[in-house]
Amino acid sequence: MQWLYLYFPSLQLDSLLHQQAYHQACVLVYQNKVVQANPEAHQLGIKIGAGLAQAALLCAQLKVIAYDSKQEQRLLTQLAQRLYQTSATLYLDPPQGLLLQTSDMLRLYKGLPRYWQQLQQPLMDRGLHYHYASAHSPLAAQVLARAGNDRLLENQHQATALLGQLPIHRAGLEPKLALQLERLGLNTLGQAQALPRSALGQRLGQNLVTYLQQLDTHSAPKRPAYRPAEHFRQRLELLYEIEQSTALRFPLKRLLADLEAFLEPRQLRVAGLSLGLEYREHNAERLHIGCSDGEYRGEAWLALCMLRLEQLQLQAPIIAISLNTKGQMPWAPLSAQLFEPPGGRLTAGQLISRLQNKLGDHAVQQVYLRDDHRPERSFYQGPPHSHYQAQPATTALRPSLLFTLPQALGHKPNHQWCILSGPERIQSGWWDNVSICRDYFIARNPIGQVCWLFRTPREEWFLHGYFS
Amino acid sequence: MVLLQLEKERLVWRARQISGPDPRRQSSFYPSLDAHLQGGWPQTGLVELACGPAGIGELRLLFPLLAQAQSRLQVWINPPAELNGQALAQHGIDLSQTLLIRCQNPQQALWSAEQSLNSGCCSHLILWAPTLTAPQAKRLQVSAKDNQALMFWLHSRAEPSTSALPVSARLSLAPLATGLRLQIHKYQGQWPQHPCQVDMHALWPSLAVPAHGSSHPVTASVSNVVALPLKPR
Repeated sequence: MQWLYLYFPSLQLDSLLHQQAYHQACVLVYQNKVVQANPEAHQLGIKIGAGLAQAALLCAQLKVIAYDSKQEQRLLTQLAQRLYQTSATLYLDPPQGLLLQTSDMLRLYKGLPRYWQQLQQPLMDRGLHYHYASAHSPLAAQVLARAGNDRLLENQHQATALLGQLPIHRAGLEPKLALQLERLGLNTLGQAQALPRSALGQRLGQNLVTYLQQLDTHSAPKRPAYRPAEHFRQRLELLYEIEQSTALRFPLKRLLADLEAFLEPRQLRVAGLSLGLEYREHNAERLHIGCSDGEYRGEAWLALCMLRLEQLQLQAPIIAISLNTKGQMPWAPLSAQLFEPPGGRLTAGQLISRLQNKLGDHAVQQVYLRDDHRPERSFYQGPPHSHYQAQPATTALRPSLLFTLPQALGHKPNHQWCILSGPERIQSGWWDNVSICRDYFIARNPIGQVCWLFRTPREEWFLHGYFS
Repeated sequence: MVLLQLEKERLVWRARQISGPDPRRQSSFYPSLDAHLQGGWPQTGLVELACGPAGIGELRLLFPLLAQAQSRLQVWINPPAELNGQALAQHGIDLSQTLLIRCQNPQQALWSAEQSLNSGCCSHLILWAPTLTAPQAKRLQVSAKDNQALMFWLHSRAEPSTSALPVSARLSLAPLATGLRLQIHKYQGQWPQHPCQVDMHALWPSLAVPAHGSSHPVTASVSNVVALPLKPR
């Protein structure tokens, strides 16, 4: 058997409910009709295709959510992304189906049962309801799966036999065509297959002939196979509105687990996450969470995200969150120093990321030197960055603590001050209009502070720093 | 047996037996201070320095130590003014291992200090904070000891905190013409001693007051040193 078809009749609903552990009757509604219902709703007698009013009559506390085909397609893509780890060639069949080519994979997994076991695990982890069937052609597998066949068939004869017994209205034909066939007295697919194709084509149209031909076509579908995305991007709709930022921990944990599952097999790590918060009646907001060393583990990202979220005041209740990655890089194991005794729990980069996420980027700085004679401009503070070699611009002694704005002394240093060295004239900066002309002195004041003073040409005295 | 082990590691000590440098100390690179402290600064733990007004030489006391150990980060939290990178580089401190943290409130400063120590990638931490309570000091002390780090807590009071804070050492500094006068109020593993003079003249000759008083009159004439590039006339 070459093809396996997986059919998810309630993909969106299952995903929503599984994420948030909801155990009441719940339905998805599209154009006033129930399109998906959970088992609790089925028990109350709510059927697919029933009107919303009827469903509401059957259950007063029914939770009703709008069906969103785009969201369902996103979920299908996410699922394909996960199953791609197990099966190499797969095709999306939106909105609710996945077609897998099994013939290549059977050699790897040494038989259908083991392969099937590997495939089932992620489906069960996500709490999805599904139907499946294997067959010799893509269309046959699809028709059997959608009819709820749920069997892995050994050979083509079994599949043909099952298809032959299939009632015509469950064969996945257009309702109008199925009705026409039934009126001709053809109740099973087998009866239609037995008739001459040319006669069927003349009376019922070319579509039916194509359909019957495709049931026996072994080759792959014409459309391109699924290719996994290069970047992680995921959105999660919340079943409840979240009003406290710390309560985002649980949905976020799920997204980050998916992120880890995305990054780990690819041997990638990311330097930053962009966390989107969608508010009910407010513009969406994006938070940037960085980790300069790069990280792939969901656990570590969660800790960083929570540091940021703890400080966030939500403007309105949150209805959905999304996660994008920024700056993917290959994963490199930490080159731990073998002979260094202290076993550090974090690397410097991880520590810096943690501090930055709690205190803000501007609070954690490194000092860089600049080749300038003006004391205020001879260094600057910037984001931390390892691998940096600094050469002091001057050999003249400079104070270790410097005031950003020189403090006016108000008077000339009197006889109690002791001038230790100076003057050192610094006259520079005529090219960028921040020109200075100062005579610097090192002086010790009466209480023992070693000060860096300067005198301007207008005989004003300023305190600029301490030789601490 | 256990007592011997404790005595060997100087966790228990007898007053009359203390002599000679302690192997678990690191040199401060000031010979007089090393002699006075039986080997120098502690390897790990929390040291309180009561500095009085800023700028009397409290950082110059630490620079030789900081210039020596640079395999891990050196974290500076809330210094009273900008840290001048030129001066740090001149004193031999590796700026790529220097992290500067500025916090709005004291809780954040303590949180950053504890995180930095607990990360295990920080060898020295210098914190400016007006006060620490006993539980806060204990937490920092334990974090520093567990992670092989030495933390200095500087404050601008002239006298150290009177409460019995659980710190490894408690010193107060006072300016002298050629350096600092250190009063040791507490030092784990030894008796409090009479004050000690740290001579900084050898390392910073131009910052020491000459013996004969002021050599330059304040009204020194304008120097003839000109910084390049010259302004075109």
